[in-house]
Amino acid sequence: MAQFWLAFGFGLVTASVLAIAAVGLSLQFGITNYINFAYGDFMALGAYFTYALNSEFLHLNVWIALVGGSLCMGLLAVLFNHFLLGPFARRFNKTFYVLIVTFGLSLIILNAIYSIWGANVRAYNMKIEQVLHIGPFLLTRNQLIVMAISVVMMLLVHLMLKTTRLGKSMRAMSDNTTLAMTSGIDTRRITTITWFLSGTLAGLAGSVLGITEGNVTPAPGELFLFVIFAAVIVGGVGSIYGAMAGAVLIGLATEISAAFFNASYKLDVAFVILILTLLFRPNGLFARPGRA
Amino acid sequence: MTTRDEMNSPVDQVNEPILRCQDITKSFLGVNAVNGATFDVPKGKITALIGPNGAGKTTVVNIISGAMKCDSGTVHMGSTDVTNWERYKIARLGLMRTFQLSRELGGLTVLENLLVAPKVQAGESLFNIFFRPRLLKREERQNIERATEILRTYGLYELRDSLARELSGGQKKLLEISRGVMASPSLFLLDEPMAGVNPALIERIGGYILDMKRQGMTVLMIEHNLNVVEKICDNVIVLAEGRTLATGRLSELRANPEVVQAYLGEIINAGPHN
Repeated sequence: MAQFWLAFGFGLVTASVLAIAAVGLSLQFGITNYINFAYGDFMALGAYFTYALNSEFLHLNVWIALVGGSLCMGLLAVLFNHFLLGPFARRFNKTFYVLIVTFGLSLIILNAIYSIWGANVRAYNMKIEQVLHIGPFLLTRNQLIVMAISVVMMLLVHLMLKTTRLGKSMRAMSDNTTLAMTSGIDTRRITTITWFLSGTLAGLAGSVLGITEGNVTPAPGELFLFVIFAAVIVGGVGSIYGAMAGAVLIGLATEISAAFFNASYKLDVAFVILILTLLFRPNGLFARPGRA
Repeated sequence: MTTRDEMNSPVDQVNEPILRCQDITKSFLGVNAVNGATFDVPKGKITALIGPNGAGKTTVVNIISGAMKCDSGTVHMGSTDVTNWERYKIARLGLMRTFQLSRELGGLTVLENLLVAPKVQAGESLFNIFFRPRLLKREERQNIERATEILRTYGLYELRDSLARELSGGQKKLLEISRGVMASPSLFLLDEPMAGVNPALIERIGGYILDMKRQGMTVLMIEHNLNVVEKICDNVIVLAEGRTLATGRLSELRANPEVVQAYLGEIINAGPHN
């Protein structure tokens, strides 16, 4: 039983990272209606920006560097949308073409990371943490901070969506873009802001992943992306709250399974849940008709 | 409902146009849907746009509201040339519209459907969200108060927390109209507001449209129900084959042989309910 609770604790940490990433992806999908296959590379790039601010240039505290790194990724996401993805999306009605462009963007970012930072594993400049016993869990202070950041981000996203005009405009656009425009919503501006938020959340997720894993690699682009997809699809594509719930489910399931089976099957567990969801509830476990 | 004539004073009879359409043309695959439509919509009045099926009424409304680009011609709102503007810009200038088949933001609650309507809000800015929360709170409170008042007027208050997609057809129609009213438009385009609506609701919607006029809004409505047009509209524009056939009071148009031949004849022949 002790092993279960330990795994549960790790599961909460993974779910925290996953929730930030899944909400960012879901926000962007809800507005643009196409999947960004470069999202994992946004995470990796955000983590490297944080690394640069923490270990290469300004030597900032990792938590401050994380804010800077995430915001840089947010701004870069806006530029990617403005100069690359947006024009393609406007020009071609079929989202298939834009998907191919996001694949291309993924490769460009990945190779840019390799050429700037190399293929070696990097580590943030931060203290080695002692493990704390909290009830049945064994967690580090950094892991607790990551969980707190995730909870705060989810609350902020919830408050933004529910109580501000910006959030309601995003939900309106996600629901019916034409009607949103007819109601006076500047959909281009909302799209730009959404890309900024999505990029920032991707950068944040990549950075906190680096903190919890203890190292920074370009791997999120290749591996973590598919776990994020699983969380988003299990929760219900385009539903922000579904993405949060899907992240918790996938995060817990993968870590708890690792405690009882071989840990290298973690990804497979995520995919089994994904396949079962698609078989029995193709709209996702928490989706209502419509989106977000 | 009060009728149009009880509300008009003699001074109101001549009025400046809030909307001016000149020589609008639009063709689809070589077929002319609109072929030089030219008309004015007087400010503060209720104007009906009538005509046989295929006359180009909805296409004209789509062009005015920015949902469609015209091939030639101009659309002016007041002194501003809004020809082929993006629809959100036209909406922000004060033009709201409804659709033949009512449309709603289904995933938002009834109240939220109204809260997205006001034209420019401080809550649209990320900066304000983080650095001016008090301003946002005040704005949100004011918007909720106004939306609540409108929902009470339109009989939707009890449904304020329901998702819009769960409403009945008539309720969706009312929601669409109340969302437009929430934006306090200077010009409100209604595309067949009485279509598919039961007689009791027709009476109510007619009353709401007259209320809009009392509040200073201008209404341009596509309508086939001539009883309603007769009762509430100050002015009528007749379109046929994409052209403006005639304008005036419905009583005057009934005496116009061209109008009778192109449209009113078939309506009169169709029976007393039209």
